[in-house]
Amino acid sequence: MSSYRRFPWLFILPSLVGFLAFNAGPIIISLLLSFTKWDVFSPLSLQSIRDSWIGFGNYVQMWQDPTLHKAFWNTLYYVLVAVPLEILISLLVALGLNRDFPGVKLVRTLYLLPTVTSIVAVGLLWRWVLNPYVGPVNMFLRWIGGQLEAMFNLVHLHAPATIHWLATQGPGWLSDEHWAMPGVILAAVWAGIGFRMLIFLAGLQNIDKTYYEVASLDGAGPWHQFWYVTIPLLSPTVFLNTLLALIGGFQVFGLIYVMTGGGPLDATNVLLFYLYQKAFGIFPPDMGYASAIAWLLFLLLFGLTVIQWQLRKRWVWEEA
Amino acid sequence: MHKRKQRIADAVIFVVLLVGGLTMLVPFLWMIATSFKEPGSLFDLPIQLWPHHLHWENYKRVLTAVPFGRWYLNSLIIALGLTFLNLTSGAMAGYAFARFRWKGKDAMFLLSLITLMIPAHVLIIPLFVILSKIGWIDTYYALILPGLFDAFAIFLMRQNFISLPRELEEAALIDGATPWQIYWKVALPLAAPALATLGTFTFLAGWNSFLWPLVATNSITMRPITVGLAVFNTQFSTEWTVLMAGLSLATIPPIIVFLAAQKYFIRGLTLGSLKG
Repeated sequence: MSSYRRFPWLFILPSLVGFLAFNAGPIIISLLLSFTKWDVFSPLSLQSIRDSWIGFGNYVQMWQDPTLHKAFWNTLYYVLVAVPLEILISLLVALGLNRDFPGVKLVRTLYLLPTVTSIVAVGLLWRWVLNPYVGPVNMFLRWIGGQLEAMFNLVHLHAPATIHWLATQGPGWLSDEHWAMPGVILAAVWAGIGFRMLIFLAGLQNIDKTYYEVASLDGAGPWHQFWYVTIPLLSPTVFLNTLLALIGGFQVFGLIYVMTGGGPLDATNVLLFYLYQKAFGIFPPDMGYASAIAWLLFLLLFGLTVIQWQLRKRWVWEEA
Repeated sequence: MHKRKQRIADAVIFVVLLVGGLTMLVPFLWMIATSFKEPGSLFDLPIQLWPHHLHWENYKRVLTAVPFGRWYLNSLIIALGLTFLNLTSGAMAGYAFARFRWKGKDAMFLLSLITLMIPAHVLIIPLFVILSKIGWIDTYYALILPGLFDAFAIFLMRQNFISLPRELEEAALIDGATPWQIYWKVALPLAAPALATLGTFTFLAGWNSFLWPLVATNSITMRPITVGLAVFNTQFSTEWTVLMAGLSLATIPPIIVFLAAQKYFIRGLTLGSLKG
């Protein structure tokens, strides 16, 4: 048997139906809707789409919508802070856990606990953890501030205002315009590093041990081995992990929905949350505009992937 | 001297990792502690780290105020439904792409891979519009059936079937078995490890899905646990003891399941990274 030479209807049919009904069809409809002011009460027909056609109206509107601009910059802020933090911390944790010591399995499990918790539960939990008055984060910050202030008092100096603020008050987190996004990022990083670490661990364990033996015979110390063996051989994993984190970061939604609802004053409103608001959070819903936002987000992700792919050649080490 | 330096470095790394690990644990402990505190006592000073008495009334309140059992059941139905679809339609199509040849096969395969590039959020609005026009919103159909086509499952199963030896299947063919019999009795059993991994990953993704169920349900009894919790959050937004009791009920069982089946979960998660 080289292969069966006819169309395998029986095998393909379920996926084909699913593809047409739930993927290809909706994608075309989404594209069409993004050029209309279609309202949800009219039927979904070519006639009603033609009647509500406004050409590039929604795309022009995006260009002039200050809330959308804010959501765009907020998304960028989130991605540019959360992703590097997640990657860096999880890489360090993976390097530390990629060895044998008593209890290593237990410590690994601890890092994975947030990973198996749904993102909604994470957001809900962190709303409470970040409570400015009685949450453990601010309790800890107040304690540190108190210690620092005491040190200043010991040498009869006046503590700087920031330290006094830390000791008595601390950040207002989710209810404060400037601290809300850092608060969300804190929860995101906490929830994200376990999974990233797992990918790094898998990558580290794929590195052939003989490379290290050879390097060691050549007189390379631990630092040189890390720099000239681990880093190059792990670079494909770093690439994959970063790309996935970026793609996920641009689509942050659950945490925002639960922790801040996009507020205060749109300080944490991100693209996907804004799309949700436009399509499902206002009355009457603006499906056309929301669809246009979806395609903007798609183009951003697509561009990002292409750029990453090009950069890949520069810094990812590949076996010839 | 060198040895000693190494040992000190190891100890430092271990302590840092342990502190990090405890940071992962503390929010959960804080959640459990809060869930047993006396309602209305949270802002009394000094702040108590652990409740003096266990106040079970928070749990009683949660269990009477919201249908937790039903939410769990919904999550289970959705996650199992999606897993079933992936393991049947995905595996079947994967087998077809691995073993059959027909005109336009490569184009079809490419087309399905392209859908991996289209993020789910593009589909949400048109799916909602279509399904609400045919009256499927707020039903299990809307929550499960869109998983009928899954490019990732097809791709994964195709790679797996290609890697399997053909000899057994060829022998079965000579014995007069139909393609379907060969698939069902020979190829599929050999693919069991891949099916287990794909199943674990799909189950997890289904259990944790949020945006689509949020959009596709509107009655309290159709919500899965993720959507239930989010709405519950707004309902009890300041009753922290009750909120944390509910949260404990929602997070602790999955953690126990995870601890029991850690090996499979980790394999499924690592695999899922390919999907993103």
